[in-house]
Amino acid sequence: MGEYFKNIYKAIVTILIGMGVTWRHLFTRAVTIQYPHVKRELPPRSRQKLFVDIDDCIGCFQCARACPVDCIDIETVKAGKEEDLGETSTGQKKRLHVVKFDIDLTKCCYCADCVFPCPTECIVMTPKYEFSTYDRFDLIEHFSAYSAEEAEKLKERDRKEKEALAAARAAKMQAAPKPPSSDKPGPSA
Amino acid sequence: MKKDNLPAAQFEVEVPDTLKTEEMTLNMGPQHPSTHGVLRVVLKTDGEIIKSAEPVIGYLHRCFEKHAENVTWHQVIPFTDRLDYIASMNNNLGYVIGLERMMNLQVNERAEYLRVIVSELNRIASHLIALGTYGLDIGAFTPFLYVFRDRERILDLFEEICGARLLYNYIWVGGVAYDAPQGWRDKVLQFIDYFVPKIKEYNDILTYNKIFIDRTAKVGVIPADVAINYGLSGPSLRGSGVEFDLRKDDPYSIYDRFDFNVCTGKGQMGTVGDTWDRYWVRVAEMYESAKIVRQAAEQLPEGDAKETVPRNIKVPAGEYYMRTETPRGELGYYIISDGGKTPNRVKVRSPAYCNLSVLPAIAPGVMVADMVAIIGSLDIVLGEVDR
Repeated sequence: MGEYFKNIYKAIVTILIGMGVTWRHLFTRAVTIQYPHVKRELPPRSRQKLFVDIDDCIGCFQCARACPVDCIDIETVKAGKEEDLGETSTGQKKRLHVVKFDIDLTKCCYCADCVFPCPTECIVMTPKYEFSTYDRFDLIEHFSAYSAEEAEKLKERDRKEKEALAAARAAKMQAAPKPPSSDKPGPSA
Repeated sequence: MKKDNLPAAQFEVEVPDTLKTEEMTLNMGPQHPSTHGVLRVVLKTDGEIIKSAEPVIGYLHRCFEKHAENVTWHQVIPFTDRLDYIASMNNNLGYVIGLERMMNLQVNERAEYLRVIVSELNRIASHLIALGTYGLDIGAFTPFLYVFRDRERILDLFEEICGARLLYNYIWVGGVAYDAPQGWRDKVLQFIDYFVPKIKEYNDILTYNKIFIDRTAKVGVIPADVAINYGLSGPSLRGSGVEFDLRKDDPYSIYDRFDFNVCTGKGQMGTVGDTWDRYWVRVAEMYESAKIVRQAAEQLPEGDAKETVPRNIKVPAGEYYMRTETPRGELGYYIISDGGKTPNRVKVRSPAYCNLSVLPAIAPGVMVADMVAIIGSLDIVLGEVDR
């Protein structure tokens, strides 16, 4: 019987101790914020949405190669000989048209591995975190400065140039004397 | 293993012969709030008492090991984050130290200290979740809110140092990704000053509550030999009174420089190795982690936090098993390299998976409601169980 009442006494006392803690919390300031109306200021390092300053991009593919989930899709076209694409803000000469620079934010894992290898520091993670959309295709960010037609035109030009080059090479190969075939050892008999 | 090593059934029910009884199979989970994720436990019950329990896993399998074979050494680090997603820093640490030992790489002092600070802070954050959700499982809601308030402060510290709140990708081969910003060290010390008195608050509200003790003490007892036989590690093993902590027994990084104790279960409220003991080990470990963080933050030297290593690191051919103490126990990375750009194999010995394996051994004879307490006390993270 004594044990029984001791248990009840203990339960009441420990609950009261706990209630004391909650009671004290009634008079402390709330730690929550009214989110859509009040927003936290994120630290500058915060890794949220990726941003590419395309004017500074030299199309080196380093970020695409560093990405563990392959969410960066880049296409480049070589600039013509007389074309001058200018320089990046870090003083590097741009030699490639970046006709496509897409980042699929649905795939992105926000690891910031792409940020570090960039030689011109043009790809960065920004503290912007509110980018939900109604359509998941809106989450594919297009950063290229070229419109679709311009990109197509550049790619077409590139294709023609390459074809011409290949044709020229083929013609050269035709003109050159054939190396004597007897030099090469044939497949093992 | 002998059968009589197992704990005896707690309840014996006498059934009259005239009563028709049958076993019932009950699926607990995968959508169940107290299985801590997508764990399914197939229970065979006799009324309210469990005859057998069989965990069914694999609902969260994400092919970590296959992914690791297809990406470069460095690109594996973001994937290790996603194993045990509430203690990512500790996951990074094990993999990275394994690689560094294979490469024979020395890391700067400052980087080592930062690594210890962040992983111990992460251990506190993880134990806070364990505490809060355990209370939630038992039926105490308030402590859950309090621990999340304090965990938020740790996440804020992490966000400041590496930009992410949960999946950090912070510890890199050769150091850490970012050096600590100005004033971060003082904020860590402030946090420790703030946090240590708060642990008493959790004790007042939950640990020594009579109802909580009645629900957890003498329940789900894992004797020390059973714990060792099933390969338990971390707080679940230490709760059974086995003093085994890799930070002390096989020191890695710079853990041998700090003064801290290994906490074990003593059976204060009932039997050694009951769920209360495992819970208590976590509470006591938070004190120890706070001690380590304080020492490390006070000794934090100046210097570079990053060693210059090439972007595409090459790991010499060979194999290495690196084990570290995460909040859940011994996390082992078995790394095989063929000298190439990508790992040949990265096998993970996940502590939560091994800890879960003891469930069928201790479940028979307990009530269904106690099952919740047992699963909660093992503190599993399904992301790590399934990988």
